[in-house]
Amino acid sequence: MIWEILARLPPKALLRCRAVCRAWRRVTSVRNFLLAHHGRQPALPLASQRMNCGNSYYQNIVTFNNRATDAQVQHVARVQLADTIRLDASCDGLLLFTDNSISQLAQNGSTYGTCFSICNPATREHARLPMLSAFLPFGMYRHRPTSEYRILLTQEKDDPVTNAFFIFVLGSAQPPRNIGGWPREMVSVWGDDVLLRGSLHWHLQKHESKSSHIMVFDTTAESFREMRAPVVLDPKRANLFEMYDKLGMSIFNGELKIIDIWMMLDYESEVWALKYRVELPVASLNVQFGQIVENPEVAVHSCDGDVLVLVRFGEWLLHFDTDSRLVASFHHEGLLLGQHRLQETLVPHTFFTTLDSYSVNCQCF
Amino acid sequence: MATREAGKKMIMLKSPDGMEFEVEEAVAMESQTIRKMIEDDCADTAILIPNINSKILSRVIEYCNKHVPTTGATGAAASDTVAPAALAEDLKIWDAEFIKVNRATRFDLIQAASYLNIKGLLDLTSQTTIDTISDNSLEEIRSFLSTKNDYLPEEEQTIRRENQWAFQ
Repeated sequence: MIWEILARLPPKALLRCRAVCRAWRRVTSVRNFLLAHHGRQPALPLASQRMNCGNSYYQNIVTFNNRATDAQVQHVARVQLADTIRLDASCDGLLLFTDNSISQLAQNGSTYGTCFSICNPATREHARLPMLSAFLPFGMYRHRPTSEYRILLTQEKDDPVTNAFFIFVLGSAQPPRNIGGWPREMVSVWGDDVLLRGSLHWHLQKHESKSSHIMVFDTTAESFREMRAPVVLDPKRANLFEMYDKLGMSIFNGELKIIDIWMMLDYESEVWALKYRVELPVASLNVQFGQIVENPEVAVHSCDGDVLVLVRFGEWLLHFDTDSRLVASFHHEGLLLGQHRLQETLVPHTFFTTLDSYSVNCQCF
Repeated sequence: MATREAGKKMIMLKSPDGMEFEVEEAVAMESQTIRKMIEDDCADTAILIPNINSKILSRVIEYCNKHVPTTGATGAAASDTVAPAALAEDLKIWDAEFIKVNRATRFDLIQAASYLNIKGLLDLTSQTTIDTISDNSLEEIRSFLSTKNDYLPEEEQTIRRENQWAFQ
């Protein structure tokens, strides 16, 4: 009985429980238990919040948990991110983000480049990835055949023919490996990556044809292919997400009042269907939460069987259901929504200790 | 005995204290453990549920009866007239009533839900205990779960230091 309870505790409470008695410590330190514990953690939508602190600013990374009885918005980590850059990737409880404070330090010491950091908020482990400074992270995944965590990277080049993708293995001393280019024409990639069926998915628009597509990266074969996407008028306002092990896409349109939620009914035949239409009651929101200057921002997530429609409306985070009902509202200034989720883990990752400037419980938590 | 009654397949569940419960197959299959037995064709005769007494088993069946998806012949009519949101709301209220039991019964239900692998029931029954563990001191957790502290004081201090932030 106690095994089931311990396996369902939030990571922080579980770490505390190791001090209850020897038996609990023994049980909760076994790898199989930690894997089961990770499997029982909810995958929570991530957002970042810009904070001012004197003349500098930093960002709080927060999770949103609609099942929580008290604080639904919870602090995960505190990082100094570049102005508009969001979290780069999230996979199996690990977060990859751009660390601007470190790139400034590097600049004074003559080398310039963005520095990336990887962290596990549950174990409070943190390390820098300076070897990636010339690249742009595209996604992070577990390579099943080797159980290695790998980062898919690209380099920004004007000529799509020379455009290449690279793979970096976390914990490896080797520089990122070139796996060739795709696609061969200029594209814009919108929104965050979504992991589903062992592949990473992005939504992109081809510049020449103006058509929308899904780019798919098979994380085992480490190769690309293309899938059909619903027709989108404004691709900047379309986001992919995972829903009931299916690919979903939310499109915010209709003069920023309508959120259409599409779902890929059949993955093999790439058939999409419009599943929900959520209408924002903008007039009454203006009365309740004040007139807003910036456009609202939308992120749709599926959590534990619920579809959450999260809307940043001025200084408010609004949670709607698929019947356009306002479920909850939270006052949070400067929030940036995204499609990444965090499923916390206490499973040890051996690569951390091999990385530069590895630390536990550093200032970013 | 798998019998047929009014077109529905019935399954017999037996508790170790000798009680028998006839339930619809769909209801029994809310338990992933029983589902696997049925799918592997191990359920021709009555299924003996070890370690779960009749009092707890009847409550588990009550839960499964309420939570079996309302699809198919009888369910279609219900979902035509009741909005899904209202149904979910109704279930939440029912769950809250269901879980108003003493601690010993709740622990028995957790054990039963774990053995029978009924995720919803396990989530429901374990949440109170999870909240208690998350919100209380180590001493309170020990007394709540009748667990003895077998650490030497300096050992406990070392473990606390290992993950110091978890105690803040």
